[in-house]
Amino acid sequence: MSARPGPRQASLRRTLLLWLLLPLAGLIPLAALLIYGLALSPALDALDRALTDTGVALAEMLDTDAQGRVQLPLSEQTARALRADAVDESQFAVADPQGRLLAGQAGLLALVSDRPAPGERRFFSATLAGQALRLAAQGQACGPGAAQTCLIVVAETLGKRALAQRAALLGAGLAALALALPLLGLSLLAVRRALRPLQVAAAQVAALTPQRLEPVPAQALPGEVAGLVQALNELLARLREAAAAQRAFVADAAHQLRTPLAVMRLEAAEVLAAPHPEALHPALQRLHAAAERGSRLAQQLLVLARAESQALQAETARPQQTLDLSTLAAAAADRWLAPALAAGQDLGFALAPAPLRGDALLLEELLGNLLHNAIEHAGPGVRITVRCGRDAQGRSWLSVEDEGRGVPPEELALLWQRFQRGRAAQGGGSGLGLAIVADIARLHGAVAEAQAGPGGRGLCVTVRFPA
Amino acid sequence: MHILLVEDDAALAEAIAAALRARGWRVELSARGEPVAASLRQESYDALVLDIGLPGIDGLEVLRRLREQGSFLPVLMLTARDGVEDRVDGLEAGADDYLLKPFAIDELIARLRALVRRHEFRRNETLSLAVLRFDAGARRAFIGEQAVHLTARECVVLQYLLLKAGQVVTREQLTALIPGWAAASSENALELLVSRLRAKIEPGGVNLRTVRGLGYRLEPAEAP
Repeated sequence: MSARPGPRQASLRRTLLLWLLLPLAGLIPLAALLIYGLALSPALDALDRALTDTGVALAEMLDTDAQGRVQLPLSEQTARALRADAVDESQFAVADPQGRLLAGQAGLLALVSDRPAPGERRFFSATLAGQALRLAAQGQACGPGAAQTCLIVVAETLGKRALAQRAALLGAGLAALALALPLLGLSLLAVRRALRPLQVAAAQVAALTPQRLEPVPAQALPGEVAGLVQALNELLARLREAAAAQRAFVADAAHQLRTPLAVMRLEAAEVLAAPHPEALHPALQRLHAAAERGSRLAQQLLVLARAESQALQAETARPQQTLDLSTLAAAAADRWLAPALAAGQDLGFALAPAPLRGDALLLEELLGNLLHNAIEHAGPGVRITVRCGRDAQGRSWLSVEDEGRGVPPEELALLWQRFQRGRAAQGGGSGLGLAIVADIARLHGAVAEAQAGPGGRGLCVTVRFPA
Repeated sequence: MHILLVEDDAALAEAIAAALRARGWRVELSARGEPVAASLRQESYDALVLDIGLPGIDGLEVLRRLREQGSFLPVLMLTARDGVEDRVDGLEAGADDYLLKPFAIDELIARLRALVRRHEFRRNETLSLAVLRFDAGARRAFIGEQAVHLTARECVVLQYLLLKAGQVVTREQLTALIPGWAAASSENALELLVSRLRAKIEPGGVNLRTVRGLGYRLEPAEAP
């Protein structure tokens, strides 16, 4: 569940982003180009029209003398005024019908390949003396009766056009950016929003444990994901049912076994207490010990089934009471003093207030298992001490320590496994005791640990509860 | 001791009955709850041992009916260890004590003795253990016919220990009995009181055992 997608694994996010962003990457430059063209061409047209204004002024000044020759009376002042421009260098040339230069710069006339008809205007670009120019050539009726055609050429350098081009380019770029950025952001946002329910569902599925197979809520999910989650929930339900059936079977079997085992235990104890042939004594003792062990095992299986079924419930649904470990430990004295005395042990207590919320029956079983373990394994003549209290952080703890033969360090870790009994273990332990302690501790959010007892002797099991 | 044991599992009932009879007790058996009322009218019992899970009317209902009829007979409920709710229900329905199955026969005997002792005490204000006898009305203790001189505080403590004979009594429970004794400051005083009391009563065939770090237990001297 927690495996991250590898580099080659298909990713919904990548596919979605690819199909959203690739078209954008193509379409936005196209749009920019269109905007550039749309902005530039009217500007250039306007500049061309402005260029003809000088031509119109020159045409108005054409005159015919008494011999019928075309004249252009143009003072130096007027010529300067006509050439004046804030940005560009402007020039002009006027030719009479015969092609003779009337005014202006002769070089311009050579750039006009064929003369425009009267009233016709032609715009073109050319280079003169290494300078790029924009030219307007117009034919103008002149001469007597306006029967002839004069040529007026006006030219200017490309400064204003370059400025217009730059302005159009900037506008198109800004427009492209104004389109691209929101679209990119929206795409990323849309993909993220669309995929979030999937991630939420994945996190919920990842949080499931074998003890806790609650259905993943599917109502808030989009239809596509809900189908998957629904299928998963159905699988979980089948798993839960199977687990519940198994637990029910264990509980049922233990329940059914318990009474006959209790009878065996009682009867064996009675036969042992009654006068009996000496030769039968070891066998009777073994019978009694086996019945005791079986009886305890059946009871522990029941407790385990209860603990596991509680672990399956939501935190809030668990039966929890406000308890004090010191009260619980004091109450355990009644039950465990007699077996400890019978084993020749000194059972003592060092109890300080240790409040917590938990299940009284399960915690009683936890302490009972620790005590049973100590009494069974510590050996005769040993001190066993139950301690509890609260640390500086307000966390309650409980420990049972003995000064007995202890457990080899390499076997400490094995203590917590089910049906694992130390090689040197003797007596009526079921092999479930410490596994149950660990289960009940886990159910309460507590941690159980085993180490050597005081002075490195014996065994001390401590259970630390959360604050 | 005369006990009525209501338990539907025949083998378990027989085993318990045999163990009790081996100690010289009289035990009657019933597998169902319905005939209990009639049995109690015909015979006089010292205590009733009642299993909660019975066919027909269950143990809790039997107990409820019994208490409705005004009976103060000491009742010990037997409940399955996996049913924590049963205990609460049992005590609410008027049980004097409960025992979780499976149990050791000695525990059952100790609980029944304590129940009967408390019941006797309510009737005639006398408590006894082995040859030690305490007359609460007269505030006097006897070993056999020999009077034992006790101070007022020793009387209070002994009465409590006798009521709870066979059970562990914490130091806090004992200091709470004596007005003006704060639990923490009076530990030494309590130890002194107990050691004096011990010297006076132990010739009566009882053992006042110290439970390290917790309290005391008064028990017959021959008990483990």
